[in-house]
Amino acid sequence: MSCQLAILCLLTLLLPPLSRGAPMSPAERITQAYNLALSMQENMSTLLQTYLQAQGSPFSDPGFSAPELQLSSLPPADISFKTWNALDDGERLSRVQGAFLALTQHLQLVGDDQRDLNPDNPILLAQLRDARLRAQGMLGNVAAIMTALGLPNPRAEDTLGLVPFGASAFERKCRGYIVIREYGHWTDRAVRDLALFKAKYPS
Amino acid sequence: MALFAVFQTSFLLALLSLRAYQSEVLVEPLPLTPESLNVSIDSAHQYLNLQWSVHSLAYYQELKMLFQIQISRMKTSNVIWVGNYSTVVKRDPVLHWSWKSELPLECATHFVRMRSRVDDAKIPEPRFWSNWSSWKEADAQKSLGRDPLFLFPKDKLVEEGSNVTICYMSRNQQDNISCYLEGQQIHGEQLDSNVSAFKLNKVSFIRKTGTNIFCKVDQKDVIKGIVLFVSKVLEEPKDFSCETQDFKTLTCTWDPGTDTSLPKRSSQSYTLFESFSGKKILCEHKNSCNWQVDSDSQEMYNFTLVAENALGNRSVSVLFSLTHRVHPKTPYNLFLKNVSGTKATVTWKVHPIGNYSTLLCQLDLLGEGNVIQQHNVSIKENGEYLLSELEPDTEYMARVRCADANHFWKWSGSISQKFITAEAAPSEALDVWRNVKSVSGRPTVTLFWKPLSKLHANGKILSYNVTVENLDRPSGLEVHSVPATANGTELTLDQDSYQIHVTALNSAGPSPASVIVVSGDPGNEEVEEERVNGTEDGFSVSWKPQSGKAIGYVVEWCDHPQDLPCDLQWKNLSSNTTSTVISSGAFRPGVRYNFRIYEISTERMAYLLEKKAGYLKELAPSDNPQVVVSNLTSHSFTLSWKDYSTDSQLGFIQGYYVYLRSKAEKECHPGFKKATLPDKSACCQHRIDNPEQKTFVMENLQPESVYEFLVTPYTSAGSGPLDAFTKVTTPDEYSHILIRIILPMIVCVLLIMITCYLKSQWMKEKCYPDIPDPYKSNVLSLIKSKENPHLTIMNVSDCVPDAIEVIHKPEGSKIQFLGASKSLTETEFTKPAYLYLLPAEKNYSGPGPCICFENLTYNEAAADSGSCGHFPVTPEALPGQPGPLTSPENLLKALEKNYMNSLGETAAGEASLNYVSQLASQMSGDKDSLPANPPEPVLCSEYKMQMAIPLGLASPPPAENSGLSSTTPLDQSEHYR
Repeated sequence: MSCQLAILCLLTLLLPPLSRGAPMSPAERITQAYNLALSMQENMSTLLQTYLQAQGSPFSDPGFSAPELQLSSLPPADISFKTWNALDDGERLSRVQGAFLALTQHLQLVGDDQRDLNPDNPILLAQLRDARLRAQGMLGNVAAIMTALGLPNPRAEDTLGLVPFGASAFERKCRGYIVIREYGHWTDRAVRDLALFKAKYPS
Repeated sequence: MALFAVFQTSFLLALLSLRAYQSEVLVEPLPLTPESLNVSIDSAHQYLNLQWSVHSLAYYQELKMLFQIQISRMKTSNVIWVGNYSTVVKRDPVLHWSWKSELPLECATHFVRMRSRVDDAKIPEPRFWSNWSSWKEADAQKSLGRDPLFLFPKDKLVEEGSNVTICYMSRNQQDNISCYLEGQQIHGEQLDSNVSAFKLNKVSFIRKTGTNIFCKVDQKDVIKGIVLFVSKVLEEPKDFSCETQDFKTLTCTWDPGTDTSLPKRSSQSYTLFESFSGKKILCEHKNSCNWQVDSDSQEMYNFTLVAENALGNRSVSVLFSLTHRVHPKTPYNLFLKNVSGTKATVTWKVHPIGNYSTLLCQLDLLGEGNVIQQHNVSIKENGEYLLSELEPDTEYMARVRCADANHFWKWSGSISQKFITAEAAPSEALDVWRNVKSVSGRPTVTLFWKPLSKLHANGKILSYNVTVENLDRPSGLEVHSVPATANGTELTLDQDSYQIHVTALNSAGPSPASVIVVSGDPGNEEVEEERVNGTEDGFSVSWKPQSGKAIGYVVEWCDHPQDLPCDLQWKNLSSNTTSTVISSGAFRPGVRYNFRIYEISTERMAYLLEKKAGYLKELAPSDNPQVVVSNLTSHSFTLSWKDYSTDSQLGFIQGYYVYLRSKAEKECHPGFKKATLPDKSACCQHRIDNPEQKTFVMENLQPESVYEFLVTPYTSAGSGPLDAFTKVTTPDEYSHILIRIILPMIVCVLLIMITCYLKSQWMKEKCYPDIPDPYKSNVLSLIKSKENPHLTIMNVSDCVPDAIEVIHKPEGSKIQFLGASKSLTETEFTKPAYLYLLPAEKNYSGPGPCICFENLTYNEAAADSGSCGHFPVTPEALPGQPGPLTSPENLLKALEKNYMNSLGETAAGEASLNYVSQLASQMSGDKDSLPANPPEPVLCSEYKMQMAIPLGLASPPPAENSGLSSTTPLDQSEHYR
């Protein structure tokens, strides 16, 4: 019951409020998205640790890191500063939106994988579900900012279409690790992007 | 007709030719070479699936054939397996067979070929193998893609303890690949330049989510892994059995053992199969299954329980007759009826089992948790049993369980019911004893009794009745009711004999009476006490019968003799007993227990027979007596410890050790022997064997010596502590003589002093009067005898006063009188003021005749010096006289000289008249002592007031004392004379 209540509370924070009365200004939307990104950043470390601990060695080994593992279906968060700095508002927001769209779908996939692999770990499953909801919230918030700024809002695409469903258990464990790691990277980048917008569109 | 004959001939020829052909075919070896061999790979289960067909079976419906199969790895010549497969080939000759590979099939190319042979009895020998089929290749690597590294098998499920082979395949032969299992590197066997295999023996269960194995290419960002799902071993079901409670349902139960479930793979399932009926059910629970019994009354059952999971199955069977597996339901409605003091009826009901079954029920009667009675009762449906031989007022529990009477299998569950039997009158008389003592001259009997045991009380004791009957003067009965909580009472009687009845009452009635007779006469108490030895079992007490008419004996003692009350105990013994062992949990070592043995007469009167005293175990005394030292002389002293009680010690005191040690004496006195103390020091020991000897005289001691002694008692267990020695110093041998002399002397001196004090006035008058009488002066007689026989004493009345000297003490006078040590040593004179009575020259300033009276102060200290003579202290005289004026001779000489000087100067024509006091010396007669420039020649004769100077204010010793007798008044005011 308390869990459901927490989800409801989370949803109220994640989803952009319905327009009642005066619409929110772009700055307000940016601030809301920025706060959500900070919240996601805070929970990131816990999620990654919980996930790795549940997978066994080598994932649960101290200091585990496998930057070589990549998923082609996820856009990379790494970007050179010059390129990042030169992005215009529309491009910047659309990249964030595209990334969180892909992350939302991938987190759903990881949740399903872990429901198979770790059915007796409700904490991990709950954290994955929360992460997915936050990613969805970020997606909505970015879309609202784009609308508020009068930027074109690209249509959502199915980025997960090429994900191999017949992956082995080890591949699914790796996939989950990559998704959560990239979720963290994109969260960090979203914080930075939104901080830029906050400065650009002060309230 | 001819046509028919031709047709018949043709048919026969054709038939013959056909038979001939058939015979030819069967005689030849059948060329049934497997055809269309197709090999495919099942990666999930690691199977090589073979499919082929056999032709040329047109003449047979089916034919049993044997196929020989060869499997090679990597290359055709590397045959790794050869085996036969026998099957019946039918008309549709597509055949299938599978081979399970230990090595993951993806890691190596496999080749398969086969040949066949007819193996059917229909075909006569000899039978020949067909030719080998061509090699068929099974290569899974082609479909793997372009990844640099592959690891197989993926997501393999194995049972704990089994062996698993994994392999990796690298695209690049130069790659250095290392593999790890749960963090530990594993090393494998290289099968090919780019294929290695790892054989994991007896894999263990680590976690339900699987065991990770991964390989990575060094120097490259390539990592590949697999998860090995290790399941717990599926165990055979244990304790499998089936039973019925009602002949309608068979309930089979078992212990499933370890759960083998894994994520996405359910635990083992259980199937129950009955072979006689051929029925099979899937069990809903992991440890039980219900089987419906058919109404056709199947008698025998053969059940097989199969446990199965993804990796295999285990089974267990049981064969039984249904009537031998009856487990009745728990009885119900257990009641107790007609519960009296000793009997009760138990009733209960059982669930019926079939129409003709009889149940054997076991009825247990439990008291205090133990089974007291056990009864078996055969019943159909209702059970009843009369329990007897019960104890009144006792809580019991009736417990019933039942089983099939014909074929015992199991007891049913139990049903129980507690009940308490009714009370009955106490069954035994109280054990009563008495103690007679005299209180204020009246015999007081204290009755004691032991509470009845639960066995004899038969209920809750409500009170005790004590009935007193005077045997000497029949005067009716006196009844006392004593509360149930009391274990005795006290009666004050007189010197008559009384018979006392004591009974205990509960709700059902009184107990039999206990009778005892007491008399005011305590009887013979003068019985000598004997000693009795205690053992671990207690005290063995024996006695000698006296009258021969005793109806019994009583041994009485106190469990706690040092306490008040001492917890009196007694033990009744029959008349033919003359000894017993008294034991008690309260007995302690080191405590003296006194036993009194009484003989109970036929009149139920108790007479003291013997007294015994003993210790369960004697202990060494814990403390030593307080020893008093007396009669201390230079050679002996006496030790006594008469206050020491020998009766209240930790054992029978057998005597005492007297220890003596002295630094002065190395040898022991006669009667002593050398002993070593616990601190290793040596001393002398004397033993006193009589415990009542409580004095000892130490003799032959050295005067003025320090002795240390210790007196310690001893029992059979040892002596008291040897720690606190007492020091005694013998006095000097002559000290008593000295005391005899000095004491009288002190008394004499005191008497003299007292006498002197009482006669002080007389002494003063005699020796140092306040106003000396010149006629009594010794000086006068001395002068008279030596110089001038005509010299007389001048009377005051002969003088005509012509002037009054007013002694005036000017301001700043330094003459001091009180308190200063130099008050009398002052040499500065104050010029006196004179009031001349005679006509004098005006402005007289020079020396002239004058008469001065001055009462010279004399030194009281001088008087105390032992001479009664007194003399003036003159400032002029003293400096010239180095010797102290403490002796009469010196004094006389000094006086004589001064006096002569004075006379001499007067005779030389000096104009002044000097009055000389009878003791006064001339103030300024000694010219040598005059100041160099005297302002005025002191040629006056002064008479100064005499006054006594207290001793404490006396002048310092004469050596320093050039003291002038001062006339300074106490208040320093003007003084007229």
